[in-house]
Amino acid sequence: MTGTTTTTTTTTTTTLPGGAATGTPRAGGGGVNARGLRVGLRRGWTEYLHLVRDRRELINNMVGTVGVFALLILWIGDGPVEGTGVSQSTFMTIGFLAFTVFSNGLMALPMALTTDREDGTLLRLRTLPGGITAYLTGRAVTFLCQIVVQGVLILATGVVVGDAGLPRDWLTLTWALLLGTVAVVPLGVAIGCLLPNPKTAAGAVGLPMMILMVTSGVMIPVTFMPEPVQWVSQAFPLYWQGLGLRAAFMPDSMLAAEIAGSWRLPWVAVALGAWAVAGMLLAPVMVRRVTRRESGSRLADRRPAAQAS
Amino acid sequence: MSTAVSVRGLRMAYGTAEVLRGVDLDIRRGEIFTLLGPNGAGKTTTIEILEGFRNRSAGEVSVLGADPARGGDAWRARLGIVLQNWRDHGRWGVRELLAHVGEFYDRPRDPDELLAALGLTEQAAQRVNRLSGGQRRRLDVGLGIMGRPELLFLDEPTTGFDPEARREFHLLVERLAADGMTVLLTTHDLAEAEKLAHRTAILVRGEIVACGSPAELADAVRAESQVRWLEDGRERVLTTADPSRAAWELHERFGGPVPGLQVRRPSLEENYLSLIGRAA
Repeated sequence: MTGTTTTTTTTTTTTLPGGAATGTPRAGGGGVNARGLRVGLRRGWTEYLHLVRDRRELINNMVGTVGVFALLILWIGDGPVEGTGVSQSTFMTIGFLAFTVFSNGLMALPMALTTDREDGTLLRLRTLPGGITAYLTGRAVTFLCQIVVQGVLILATGVVVGDAGLPRDWLTLTWALLLGTVAVVPLGVAIGCLLPNPKTAAGAVGLPMMILMVTSGVMIPVTFMPEPVQWVSQAFPLYWQGLGLRAAFMPDSMLAAEIAGSWRLPWVAVALGAWAVAGMLLAPVMVRRVTRRESGSRLADRRPAAQAS
Repeated sequence: MSTAVSVRGLRMAYGTAEVLRGVDLDIRRGEIFTLLGPNGAGKTTTIEILEGFRNRSAGEVSVLGADPARGGDAWRARLGIVLQNWRDHGRWGVRELLAHVGEFYDRPRDPDELLAALGLTEQAAQRVNRLSGGQRRRLDVGLGIMGRPELLFLDEPTTGFDPEARREFHLLVERLAADGMTVLLTTHDLAEAEKLAHRTAILVRGEIVACGSPAELADAVRAESQVRWLEDGRERVLTTADPSRAAWELHERFGGPVPGLQVRRPSLEENYLSLIGRAA
């Protein structure tokens, strides 16, 4: 404080730039919301750059995703799956792509949300016109950037280390990955709103997430599951994203392992699109509800705990 | 419109615990208004209801002509809010964050001019979580006024400040008010309210016990004075609301100088403390 004393005292005679507002009417709700979206896009990109610049985060990411995946491929090998012309590593590349989206969406995203709730980021955004829209847009953009970069790394690792096949249909890969990512954001936000604090995220979400991974056909063909389980799996975006990704990589000879013997791409788009739209409508409401329970005094109460961690 | 904030019969209960018990307030445009009270009096609850962050249990509230519980983005754009204990956006750069917040408004301030006015020019490129407590607080105020609000809320802004930092902060608030901004500030420090505020309301246990300018407040909360003198070799003490009259009557009775006469008026601080004690 003392270091800046002189600076501040010398400026006391100057008036603040611009003066106060005179009460001119501002843009209506619609205008502000469009602005919230626009500001959110930039916000998400800025936050992504912050993540990239954070060396520890970057190394964790590289080792956690690419390293683990490379080891897994080297361990299991790259022989073809029995009775098909498709290699093990192609299967694993698809599974790991879907897993990355899902684990980021259901673990990293809720944890980021609870952290933002605890340190006052959400509350700050709530003080700004269109702030919640900007916040959610920003989180989605950061998340997308992470998925795109990790997806490229996984694909490259699969191809280089495991000799996995390149996707046959890049367009389907792109939209299934992007739409799948956007579709998982609302689930992540919902979990983030429900969790009491960041530390409980892993415990609360880990097991259900693994169960969903196993039943959703990204590890084991979904047709191996009993029919009721298939129905439950189809209610979640993970199944549909996995289906879209398999459609992008696999030859049609693999269709025997799919429900109805079809890639059902229109349904993939409908299911993922429905999750994305529902999320965009519900997520702002949930975030507003959860920030209503936050306040400056509660931030103060939590301060010692947060600093100790 | 000469009233920025109007509150009538504001009540807030959490379960059976009543935090606010019928608060009335009127804050005029362009004034610095402090809400003074001990910890736990309900100051933060009041300010958070006015900010639209909490739903009240009962009462009428109007902030810049709108009900905070239903205020939209256009209304929010006219407010500046500085809460307690913000630790957010630690990874962001100081100037980067100011510019980002400015993007939400139609006519934001210039971030560089604002940094200079806040004395944070040297910290412009620094990460927010590397700022000292006082710098962080000034940045918080900067973020609060980035959109040229008509009404600025400051919740316990100087808690933990050393006297120098506090003085600088007061100068900053006075400059903001000189520019026509209405400022509502909470504090538990009587000296701060006395120095800074045009008007102060004292909130104790969820009720306003006094409200007015420093002089009006002193009158309203004046505890009784003590008049002491010597009579028959013993010290006599009289406690009275009108020590001047008591002294005059003593002079009349003695027919001249009163031996050992002392009149002791309580300080504003003593008044305030007795007021808190009385209500508690």
